[in-house]
Order: sequence, then structure tokens, then C-alpha cells
Amino acid sequence: MKLLKKSYVYFAIGIILFFLLTMILWSLINQWPWPNLWPKQFDLRGLKFAFGSMKSYRILLSSIGLSGFVTVLTLLICYPAARALAFYDFKGKKLISFLFLLPLIVPMITVVLGIHINFIKLGLANNITGVVLVHLLPGIPYGVRLMETSFRQIGQSIELQAQVLGAKRWQVFWYITLPLLFPGIIMAGTMIYIISFSQYFITFLIGGGKVMTFSLFIFPFIESGDRTLASALSLLFISSIYLVLVFSNLLVSYYSKNVNSN
Amino acid sequence: MKNNIIKISQPYLMVMPALILIVGIFVGGIFLGFIQSFGYFPLIGLDELTFKYYIEVLTSPTFLKSLGFSLYISFAQAFLSSVLGIFLAIGIVTTIKKDSIINGIYKIPIMIPHTVVALLVFIQLTQSGWLARLLFNFHIIKDMSSFPALVFDQMGIGVVFAYVFKGLPFITLIVIDIVREGYNKYVKVASNLGANKWQVLRHIIFPLTLPSALSGFIILFAYSFGSFEIPYLLGSSTPKALPVEAYIQYNSIDLLDRPKAMVINMIIAFGAFILVSIYQKLYSSLKVKMPGGAL
Repeated sequence: MKLLKKSYVYFAIGIILFFLLTMILWSLINQWPWPNLWPKQFDLRGLKFAFGSMKSYRILLSSIGLSGFVTVLTLLICYPAARALAFYDFKGKKLISFLFLLPLIVPMITVVLGIHINFIKLGLANNITGVVLVHLLPGIPYGVRLMETSFRQIGQSIELQAQVLGAKRWQVFWYITLPLLFPGIIMAGTMIYIISFSQYFITFLIGGGKVMTFSLFIFPFIESGDRTLASALSLLFISSIYLVLVFSNLLVSYYSKNVNSN
Repeated sequence: MKNNIIKISQPYLMVMPALILIVGIFVGGIFLGFIQSFGYFPLIGLDELTFKYYIEVLTSPTFLKSLGFSLYISFAQAFLSSVLGIFLAIGIVTTIKKDSIINGIYKIPIMIPHTVVALLVFIQLTQSGWLARLLFNFHIIKDMSSFPALVFDQMGIGVVFAYVFKGLPFITLIVIDIVREGYNKYVKVASNLGANKWQVLRHIIFPLTLPSALSGFIILFAYSFGSFEIPYLLGSSTPKALPVEAYIQYNSIDLLDRPKAMVINMIIAFGAFILVSIYQKLYSSLKVKMPGGAL
């Protein structure tokens, strides 16, 4: 039984690693003809295209910029909403918190196909404004729910104490609320960023090809089955997401070290 | 009095920005799709409300096949991910040390975007893919074409596989802490009292993980039911998954096809809604709180 479980775990882990390894190999080759199990000729063509060309970096950077901006904006919008849901009782609260979860239930494709024609009329299609607007939506459930949970965990008592002791509102926010909420904000932000960074369809439809993101850039290579270029670009794609995860982990652990030492 | 008004309106002001986005764009988009599905399309001279498009779509064999295909894909992948994901959690908890690197590796697919997952599956499972080469080298298949079509196939094997690749670790992630707690708290006691492995699974681990696994199942099902990338990249040309079918109708040169795209859209949204209400019924009957991690 134990052996069975162990081999199941190693099988699952093995598949994940093997799939990634094969992708890395494909990004490094010139020729890998059927039926060879190992590439015939290695070549840096793919890596040069993905990691060494200005075009790919420019698109990557603008994509990071777009998703970073969307993340900050989503967090700013969700912060007061999460706070209201955590600390206030008001009429319609149940309905409102249900509405915030809606993007988890109804697919984005339904929304963007329905609204596309009106976005065109309003001048929001085929430009960055419209793309940012639709990118804000799928992050809202995560932003609201994760920050609401953090707010509930820290409660209101410490803020009230500071207020009683005469702290100004910005002081309470800057010295009390923000530091306590920091891990929650980072977690929510990371989720929102990755979701925005991975969007394909909504960017494609609302951006109309005028707004280029890395997800859009990579898609035709995967679609046409150009395994070398698609693999190399995917490698860059995954690495950039991985770096964001490492960075957000570092931030949280740096933060908790500081809090513990204080 | 003035203070009172401020106090009452404060939470509403706080939720306002997010609410405007959700109601204005999200609900608005669904609503606009809804009226377009009844043929209200002033821009192309249609302003009469009619059931015509619903009847046309719902009686079309192509649509019914697509609907069946989408339901099958979503159910199969969510079911496989949930069951195999729970077992992976059990496997990791009972056989792997807590500081082992495996605890990090299994999460990798969660962060990989669906488009890249499609590529990974494509590389392995096409007729010129690695698996086919392996079988050829072991003389199990004679040539490329005798390898069964696992991608672009009618059974949607490649599509299901791609979703499971991402969904299984997701389920493992949301149940693993519960499984760990279950083993630490109850399983030792139960084993001391003579419970066998099957009884432990049936009476402890399964009931404990059910609520989270169920919410995970719903999230996976709803997501794949309305998701475009994977069935577009790995799916067959007939039947097509509903989102792909909706996009094709939307993009058709004949603008009169647009209301039909909206009908398909409404059916996708309606399906997702039904699913969530079933879930809430089930959930309240289970009477357990939703774990934060299930989001």
C-alpha cells in the first residue's frame, strides 16, 4: 500500500518534470526527427529568438507593465470593498459579495462577446483602456476574498487602540493596517497578476490585435505547432511568472522576519 | 443626522468602485449578450425580440453535439482531477517528508498558463510526439499513423489530459492541509482502534476532504465549460467545444450569425449558474464552512 502510494506520487511528479524537460529540450534543438527519443542536433535558434531578440523582450516588458498596472488598480479597487465586507453590516451585503464572486462563475468569454460591440461604440475596443478595463474583472473575486479574509483575521481592535491613543487616520493606515495586511495584499496581488498575465481571449477580442501581450505573442506559435519557437517562448513565459512568485515569497518572508524582530 | 447619513452610506461608498466595474461591465456584458440573443441588434437593423435564434440553435445537431462534448470534457476533467488530486494529497502526506522538494514541484502546473499547457500536451501526445516515438522504439506501433490520435481527437483525450494536468495539482493544493490534519488527528486513533486502510479512507479522509474537493470540482468544471484556449488548440474540428463554437459564430462574415453566438453564450452562462446553485444546495446540506484556500 505504502509502496503503491509512493510510486503514484513519483509518477505524478515524474510526468510534470518530464513534460517540462521535453519542452526545454525542444527549445534547444535544430532537428529532432521521428522516431528519435533524443534530439539529433542542438541549436540556439529558439532561445535566440525568445531570449535574445528585442521584439520578444519589448512585448514581455509591456505585458509585465500592463499586468502590473492591472494588479495595482485591482488591489486599490478591492481594498475598500474587502474592508467594507469584513467590518460593516449593511443592507444588500449578501448580494454584493455574491456579485463580487460572479467572475468565478460566469466565464469571461460570455461577458466580452456580449459587450464587444458596445466597447467599439464607446471607443474602448482596440486600445489599452478597454483591455485594462476587462483585465480588472477576473481579479476582483480574488482581491476581495483574500483581503477580506486578512481583514477578518487581524480584526479592528489594534486600529481602534491607535485611534484612541490619538493617531491620525493616515498614521493608522500607514503604521498599523498596511503592515498587518501586507501578506494578504501580496498574496492577492500575485494571484491577480498571474491571472491577468495569462489572459488570452479577452485581450485578443477587446484589444483587437492592437494591444500586444506575451500571451497573444506566443499563441500563433503554439497554434501552428512550431515546437522550437513555441517552447523557447513558453520557457521565457514560465520563467517570468516564476520570478514573480519568488519575488512575492521573498517580500512576505522578509516582512514576517521584520515583524517578528520588532 | 448628517453624521448618521455618512455612517450609513460609508460601506456603500467603499464597495462602489468594485461594484461599478462588476455591474457596469460584467453584469452589463451578460445583459447585452442576453438581449442580443433575442435578436435585439439595432446596429444591423434588428430590433425585434424573438425566440427564433434559440429555436434555431437548440434544434441544430451541431450545437447539441457541441453541448454534449463540452459537458463531457468538463465533467471528465473535473472528476479525474478531483479523485486523482485527493489521492495525490494522501500519497504526499503519508509518504513524503514535509520539507521535501516534491511539495514544491507538484504545484508547478498551477502557475503554467493554459496555452503553454496545451503546448506541453501537444509535444507529448501527437502522432509524432514523444509517447508515439517511445512506443515505436519498443516496436509496439509500426509507424506514426498507427499511434491513436490523442490530440484533435473526437474523444477529446488531449483536451481532458491538459485540463487534468492543471486541475489535479490544484485539487491537491486545496485538500492537502485537510488530509494532513486528518492523518495527524484521527487516523492514528482509528488505526489503533483497528480500522483498516479502506475504512480510514471511507470514514475519515473522504468526508473531511469532500467539501473542499467539491468546491474545487465546481471551479474546475465552470472554468473549463467556458474556456476557449485548450479546446481551440487541442480539440477536434467536430464536435467543437461551446466557447469555440460561440467565437466562430461571432466571427462569421454573416452578421446574422451573431445572435446565435449570443444564444450559445447564454447557454454557457446558464450552465455555469445551474452548476453553482446545485453546488450551493449540496454545500448547505453538508453544513461546512468554505475553506479560504478553495478560492
